[in-house]
Amino acid sequence: MYKLVLAFRYLYRRRISYLALAAVALCVFIVVVVMTVMDGLVGDFKQKNHNYTGDCVVGTESLVGFAYYEDFARIAEKASYVEAVTPVIKSYALVGVEGSGRNTGVELMGVEAGSYSRVTGFGRTLYYHKNDASKAFEAGSDSNLPGFVIGADLWSGRNEKGEYYYAPSPEATALSVTCFPLTAKGALAKAGTDVVNTKTFYFSDCSQSGLARVDGSIIYLPFEEAQVLCGMTEPVKRASWIHIKFKQGTNIEEGCRQVRQMWGKFYDEYKGKDNAELLSQVSVRSWKEHRRESIAGMEKEQTMLMMMFGLVGLTTVFIVYVVFYMIISHKTKDIGILKSIGASCGDVIVLFLGFAAGLGVIGSAVGVAGGMLFLRNINRIEGWLYERFGFQLWDRTIYAIGEIPHRLDLTMLAVVTGCAVLACLAGAVLPSVGAARARPADVLQVSQL
Amino acid sequence: MLKIFLWLRYLRKRRVVLLSIAAVALSTALLIVVASLFNGFINAFEQSAVDGMGDVVLSPMKNFAGYAELEKRLEEIKSVEMAAATLSAQGLLHLGKGNVRAVEIWGIEPAKFGKVTAFDKSLLKTKQANPAGSGGISGYVGIGVLAEPNEQTDEYDVNGAEGMIGQQFVITTGSTTEGTNGGQQFKRKTIQFTMADAVFTGIYYFDSRLVYLPIEQLSRTVYPDSQEPVAGRIQIKLRKGADSELAITEIRGVWKIFASEKLGWEDYQIESTITETSRQMQSRFVAEIRKQMGVLLLIFGVVSLSAVLLIFCIFYMIVETRRKDIAIMKSCGADSGSIAFIFVGFGAFVGILGTLLGTAAGYIVTKNINEVEGWIRVAFGLKLWKASVYMFSRIPNEVYWQAVWWIVLSAILGAALGAVIPALSAALTRPVRVLRYE
Repeated sequence: MYKLVLAFRYLYRRRISYLALAAVALCVFIVVVVMTVMDGLVGDFKQKNHNYTGDCVVGTESLVGFAYYEDFARIAEKASYVEAVTPVIKSYALVGVEGSGRNTGVELMGVEAGSYSRVTGFGRTLYYHKNDASKAFEAGSDSNLPGFVIGADLWSGRNEKGEYYYAPSPEATALSVTCFPLTAKGALAKAGTDVVNTKTFYFSDCSQSGLARVDGSIIYLPFEEAQVLCGMTEPVKRASWIHIKFKQGTNIEEGCRQVRQMWGKFYDEYKGKDNAELLSQVSVRSWKEHRRESIAGMEKEQTMLMMMFGLVGLTTVFIVYVVFYMIISHKTKDIGILKSIGASCGDVIVLFLGFAAGLGVIGSAVGVAGGMLFLRNINRIEGWLYERFGFQLWDRTIYAIGEIPHRLDLTMLAVVTGCAVLACLAGAVLPSVGAARARPADVLQVSQL
Repeated sequence: MLKIFLWLRYLRKRRVVLLSIAAVALSTALLIVVASLFNGFINAFEQSAVDGMGDVVLSPMKNFAGYAELEKRLEEIKSVEMAAATLSAQGLLHLGKGNVRAVEIWGIEPAKFGKVTAFDKSLLKTKQANPAGSGGISGYVGIGVLAEPNEQTDEYDVNGAEGMIGQQFVITTGSTTEGTNGGQQFKRKTIQFTMADAVFTGIYYFDSRLVYLPIEQLSRTVYPDSQEPVAGRIQIKLRKGADSELAITEIRGVWKIFASEKLGWEDYQIESTITETSRQMQSRFVAEIRKQMGVLLLIFGVVSLSAVLLIFCIFYMIVETRRKDIAIMKSCGADSGSIAFIFVGFGAFVGILGTLLGTAAGYIVTKNINEVEGWIRVAFGLKLWKASVYMFSRIPNEVYWQAVWWIVLSAILGAALGAVIPALSAALTRPVRVLRYE
């Protein structure tokens, strides 16, 4: 009990300990704010990538694609843990506004709007067909015409709030889409001729996935149309990827492992068939593996930022050390009296470490409270700064970021608080040990009093 | 003299002061590294635009013929050293069975383009673009088009790329021609070319996306209906020391006359032509990165305030334990100002030592950042820097001295500021109380 009383007394009476408290609170505040924003950005980015991909993908990066995808899709659909399956064509195309004579290179994705929306978050990214994604390719001008869905950044600009400009209904714009069909061997189809596969499509919708690279480079076409344009119908039908969504509650890694096994059996069964050599290039990946190149950069930045904060946090350890050194050097007589009435070295160490832990907890609480208050108002503050000074943390016309993330992660809070308490304990260890070693006979001499 | 003696004595006797030096050094080093990396990235980004595009780019709203004459007229401008026309198109490069890459084709005049941009320096083997070639069409291929960089090291297989020099490749693109019914017809065109060299600029986009072919062949292929070869833009190198604003005004004047007289363009078409320096083209993005650098420095600056608190604590402790020294000095005639100056000066002295150490550490880390990154990769298997994410193959490692001065000055001031309250406390010491016998 006396340890608790003394710890509170030191905290209350020794004003210098307020400084250590302020240092801990400052560090915790900054770390909570920065990590919440960073965590939010990374988490949001990952979620968008997950929505874009589905849970698992089976396929190849080769533009040639792979055969017998329908058979595998049928098998996969029957698995108890699979919710939905959809094939996708991925290739490149030249697109130009009819009559302009100019073409731009884009990535082309051929998708079955209905099933693709069940597997991925495609339906939610649409503007005009959000409520019925199966009609995503119904052109606005005439539902009988073949439609295209285009990445929002290819179609429209963003305002300072990150919002796109959309007409009330789909505009009647026609795009000519040209592909260079490849044979199953990877050679150009119809070689020796100047024939390319070109078809006109009509604007049906915009897709805003929130992924800048996706929204700025992809045009979606109906699966069958894309398959024909890319020459993936002969001699056997081919697709680039099969996207899979698992049933709720399925562990993604476990699901992918089972799909891998399923693919292994399928490969063994089909490897003797025509064009089966394309199957050897097929891999099974989880959404994270599939989008690793995009996600890894942000995760590494988060790690580096944490390392930097760790380094700067060392200063807090120093402060706690100095504060405890001062307190203990002023309280040698108290320590001498405590030891002379029976307190052990361990008791003295526990007393000061307990004080340090209390300091860490209170400092963290202040820092967390300040951080929460700041985060709750962070978007309002940014709005005010923008109105007054034209300052935005991120220019929304450049970055596909909505509001600044401000949702607190309790695990992160616990980790930060834990680190702060540990830092305080680390700073207090040496002075506490020094205090424990004090000998009552030395510190309570008459000459010292 | 007494003050310096006391500073050195405190430094030697009060080891705890070393902690404050370490804290100042740590904060200074961190801020210098962060500022230098950001600034290096911005400089590399701007330089990449100059290396890839030249100093000034003239981009009309549509392609135009007769570029040779425009180049000649532009080169007559005093501030212009050379002008090179370019044309871009999209295509698929067939690298082998099943290996097809989507690429952007740049039609260039190799000899001129090599001088206007840093193209010559980027060539792996020849180091000089050869316009003559070996008879057929010679082309240059970005090293990242030929093969992906190593997953672990993010380095390209330079030997492998050099081994492909002399090989023939086929690129497929298309041309739009007037159809029989008045509409436009798209036709597939293939260009077979010999790879004269591989291009390694260190800029991910250029290395992974571009194939360079002679502009005349590309123009003839893509725009077969045009009697003269066409260009999409003119890239211009200015003479050393030339005023870019003045040069742009002159270039606009020449373009206006050319477009009006030779091309017969309407005023709105001429006016919609964009003429700007390649740095201006990147200015929005650069401003955004600068803003992020400012925010990050502010965050670390605020966190570094704890170093000021640390100095305050340490100096307070020193003053508390040195009351008798202070009282003796005052009783010998030292005034309060001198006493305060001892501690504020000592704070600044600690700041100077800390910033010296911090600057040295920051300099060493920044200059060797690629080696540090390589060491982290070997030790932890963590590849922090990838060209596909950060655009450049190497981490820019130039120290941002302009920021260093500010950081150093702020750190010294901060250290002195941390010592102010303890110094005032020392100055207010009354010898008669401290030196009483009891």
